Amino acid sequence: MSVDIQLAPVIHFEPGVSTPKPSRSGNLAAGALRAGSLVAFVAILLVFSLTAPYFLSVGNIGNVLGQSAISGVLAIGLTIVLIAGGSNVVTGGIDLSLAANMGLSAAVYATAAQLGYGDATAVAAALLTGLLIGAVNAIAVVGAGIVPLLATLAVMNIVAGLELVLTQNTVIPASTPLLTALSSSGPLSIPALAYVLLVFTLIAAAIVQYTPAGLRLYAVGEFPDAARAAGLPVRRLVAGAFIASGLCGGFAGILSVSNLSGSTTGSGEMLLPVVVTALLGSVFSRRLVPTVIGTLLSTLFVGFLVNGFQLLNISSVLVSGVQGLLILLVVSATTLLRRQEA
Amino acid sequence: MTLQTSAIEPSVPRAIIGVVVDNALVLALVTVFAIFSFATPTFLTIANLQSILVNNFTLLAIAAIAMTFAVSVGGIDLSVGTAIDFASFAFVSLVLAGQPVVVAALAGLGAGAAVGAFNAVLISGIGISPFLATLGTLFIGRSIQQLLTNGGNPVYLPPSGVPEAFRFLGRGAIGGIPVPLIIAAIIIVAATVILTRARFGRVALAIGIQPSVVRYSGIAARAHVAVAFILAGLIAAVAGLILSATVTVYIPSSGSAFLLNAIGATFIGTTLSRLGRPNIPGTVLGVLLLGIVANGLLLTGLNFYWQQVGTGLLIFAVLALSFITRRKA
Amino acid sequence: MSATSPDETGDAIHLDGIVKRFDGALALNRASLRVRRGTVHGLVGQNGAGKSTLIKLLAGLHQPDEGRIEIDGQAYDKLTPHRVEELGIHFIHQDRLLVPTFTVGEALFLGREPRIAGTPFLDRRLMQRRASEILDDYFGVKLPSSALISELSTAEKQIVQITRALLDQPKVLVFDEPTAALVRREADILFRLIRRLRDEGVTVIYISHYLNEIEELCDTVTVLRNGEDVATLPFGETSAAAIARLMVARDIADLYPKRSVTPGKDILTLDRLSAHGKYQDISLTLRRGEVLGLTGLLGSGAKELIRTLFGLESATSGQITIDGKPARSVNPAQAVDRHLALVPEDRRGNGVALDLSVTENITLSSLKRFTRLGFLDFTSERREADDLIRRLEIKTSGRNALVRTLSGGNQQKVAIAKWLSRHSEIYLLDEPTVGVDIGSKVEIYNLIGDLAARGAGIIVLSSDLQELIGITDRILVLFRGSIIREFASSQTSLDDVLAASTGSIEVLRHVG
Repeated sequence: MSVDIQLAPVIHFEPGVSTPKPSRSGNLAAGALRAGSLVAFVAILLVFSLTAPYFLSVGNIGNVLGQSAISGVLAIGLTIVLIAGGSNVVTGGIDLSLAANMGLSAAVYATAAQLGYGDATAVAAALLTGLLIGAVNAIAVVGAGIVPLLATLAVMNIVAGLELVLTQNTVIPASTPLLTALSSSGPLSIPALAYVLLVFTLIAAAIVQYTPAGLRLYAVGEFPDAARAAGLPVRRLVAGAFIASGLCGGFAGILSVSNLSGSTTGSGEMLLPVVVTALLGSVFSRRLVPTVIGTLLSTLFVGFLVNGFQLLNISSVLVSGVQGLLILLVVSATTLLRRQEA
Repeated sequence: MTLQTSAIEPSVPRAIIGVVVDNALVLALVTVFAIFSFATPTFLTIANLQSILVNNFTLLAIAAIAMTFAVSVGGIDLSVGTAIDFASFAFVSLVLAGQPVVVAALAGLGAGAAVGAFNAVLISGIGISPFLATLGTLFIGRSIQQLLTNGGNPVYLPPSGVPEAFRFLGRGAIGGIPVPLIIAAIIIVAATVILTRARFGRVALAIGIQPSVVRYSGIAARAHVAVAFILAGLIAAVAGLILSATVTVYIPSSGSAFLLNAIGATFIGTTLSRLGRPNIPGTVLGVLLLGIVANGLLLTGLNFYWQQVGTGLLIFAVLALSFITRRKA
Repeated sequence: MSATSPDETGDAIHLDGIVKRFDGALALNRASLRVRRGTVHGLVGQNGAGKSTLIKLLAGLHQPDEGRIEIDGQAYDKLTPHRVEELGIHFIHQDRLLVPTFTVGEALFLGREPRIAGTPFLDRRLMQRRASEILDDYFGVKLPSSALISELSTAEKQIVQITRALLDQPKVLVFDEPTAALVRREADILFRLIRRLRDEGVTVIYISHYLNEIEELCDTVTVLRNGEDVATLPFGETSAAAIARLMVARDIADLYPKRSVTPGKDILTLDRLSAHGKYQDISLTLRRGEVLGLTGLLGSGAKELIRTLFGLESATSGQITIDGKPARSVNPAQAVDRHLALVPEDRRGNGVALDLSVTENITLSSLKRFTRLGFLDFTSERREADDLIRRLEIKTSGRNALVRTLSGGNQQKVAIAKWLSRHSEIYLLDEPTVGVDIGSKVEIYNLIGDLAARGAGIIVLSSDLQELIGITDRILVLFRGSIIREFASSQTSLDDVLAASTGSIEVLRHVG
């Protein structure tokens, strides 16, 4: 299921053109880092499966997938913004309004359902909510030129407030055929949400990793001058990324309603874990860039970690610590490797 | 090749834009103040203004000043809340264990500084970007707090066991002025002096503007960055002490509530200042703006939940206006 | 020579009597450039002669104040980058605009990606196959299709950049210093390609400092000097040495300040200083009151040597002695404490902080002098800034103006003032007059003379040989990490240096 991740070994150039290739060692280092992360991923799975027999059962894996669906969709949305905004989180791409977006979209869906509207209308309303939030971010960043960190921070406040207004800070229960379907189990008695996550990832990966538009997003994020020189509509692409991220927020909102049988408050809690997950995802790509599949792997990594801790009766409070340590380890490793190269 | 705009006489509208850009924050504050003074009868009363300062200003101002030091060296500190929490935990736990309040307070300051020092090692020592380093610290800090509190149980001080000095720090007053407000004022003045008049502040701002030039000038830039982050942890710790002294309880990870508003206030103060540099008066005005809006919306009788929307919209409008006018100017 | 006779073909490009002013300063003064279709046309001139302005006009990035632009016999009032591309004119820039994490195929096809027929998806296989074909066909280079841009050598990146332009089947290709970072063998590949393109009917404009390349490659050459085209010659009738003389304006030589040398005690001594792979066995002595010139091509080790002295890089062996004391610095802070000063080539990146004020820049490295108990003494700081602004005649609206608002020459004076304030004694000046207008240049030369007269030791690293002869006492030429020649500046002339260095083509290449 490698997408941009080509496992082909680094082939050496034919003789003929040969100057020192300074980044060769850097590439090895990057490869080592990526291999190391994958090994760590597998090793943790292995340890859990040896100590908790149930861990690697189909049922449990399905559970983890299902439980990771919401954060996975959000993290993939953020990944798109990271790709188009570049790796500098302060001046580049970040969408702090994503988690609040999910909360409001969920509330909109649940309210619509409660008011007796059908699933189609409720879904459309939730997605439209997400889309609008994304559009506001896009206008603020591309139109008004506000730094994404500040623009999406302000939008986050507005959206979180609107959610409170709509829900009066209460749970809005909802029950629709769609929600029943989403919270049921699919083939192999794996939760439907697991399938939703996989299909969503495939679609997102197809668009981001396999279409010209996706390729252009990378160019815009990593080297805007090169994108401009190639005649790409840089502003439009950045705007598109924020709108796509908004849509993901709307979609995650619908999923969260099914998961909790209603809209609940406190969606903001998901923001920073999602940011960490999306940032960690780039370790799983050959080029050390954010990718949809990399983000999925990173989401599952966290999911398995939580799940394994539960099975082993280890307090899950360690999860955020492990996440924090991981991000520091990964980033220190890359930084130190890069410094050695220089 | 950069083209320099020739020195033409600025036309009148352009001059007005200039004035607005230069004083955007003060103008925004005055406007908001005026609107609420007219819209509600209770806003412009001594009691209410005092309540703004005590309830909507003190803690956030201190946290935002901590943030401003991190931002001054071109960084950001997502772990201000962690420093607040660690300080609060050490303070409350030691008081509960019967230690003198002074000892406990010093330990609390030390705990906050330790969080800052951890960031400093990651940023200045290893070279990790401040955003990622402090994000890591925030997550690790969260787990540590859960471990220390058996999964997140608050640490209460029994009403009988609250020492007088402890109570004084949170609820006391000197000459009618609440102690927390006095402490905040001292920190505001000290931080302003450090950032504008001390050599450290000059170097820090230069690092934030163009780090390579500072290095090429023979200055140990990394050491200054490290000090800025330790200072951020230390100042945040003061907010942690006041917070726990006010509510006489330590609640794990409660400090993160200040994070986003501290970032907001700092960047509002930075972007709306004349030179676009991080500065303490700007940060303080940013905190005041947030506080006045929150308080004013409350007094308008607006639904409690609309207040958050209003705050968000207002910040959004201020940012949008400032970025757009700046681009035009 | 071109396969087609020039008489049978028209002009691909004709810029006629172009005048361009920036802030009243004349960048181009009735300059003309006439390029015949299907030829390789060289464009040469010293820094500041107007080459880049002329090329930016052709690219549609600047508009001329006066003059005519004709392309393929058609006159245009206004060129835009978009229009220029439609006309089939492509530019190969020095800075390679390629996304580092892209594969060669992705980088080549960005913006015009092929899709798998009937789907919205990228045809990566086709991209990579076409990429391999083109690279193999034109360059005889086999790049693995999965290679990332970041893994390529500079030469390979350059090749990818050229290939991108070739995909559009250009009519005119403009190369701006394409070989600056290439070794000879790589340059040969490039030259073969350019000849082949010409034979296929493409018109090539080739800008380079390296006159031997121009001689080897071009059918015709235009020499620019001070914004004018002083000559356009077919290469059959001229030579690299003749062109070098045309590039140099003799009258400027008078602008170099005359000064009598009274060298004092040794201030800086290097004894067999070596850094693995950069330079080896460098020994030299700098005396108080002396201005020492240093020159060398990219990769000669001169730049690295300067950086080592300032503690930005480390040497592997050898001795550095300052005022008789061993003094190898491990960081700039240590070097500055030893009274070393570096005025770096990248002025706007490392020399001055654009968004700090003139005062803040001037006192940045000497802040300790204006500090009492950790706090700044604004009065004495202001006095220092005013004093240096006056002494160096820095033109600014005030000491509180941001350095961004100053001209290049005045920014450079601020960069030097910073070290005067630090009371530095050994000045390392790296290309001190690049991007500086002629008036400020003279002021900077005078300043260097003043510093020497006050007993400082000065090392000037410059690729402008005429400048070096004019302002230094001695010139050391570095080549492949070693000092290969030493000249006494007063007993040599530009012709001498050129003549003396004809044995080494590499020195000739570096004129201008």
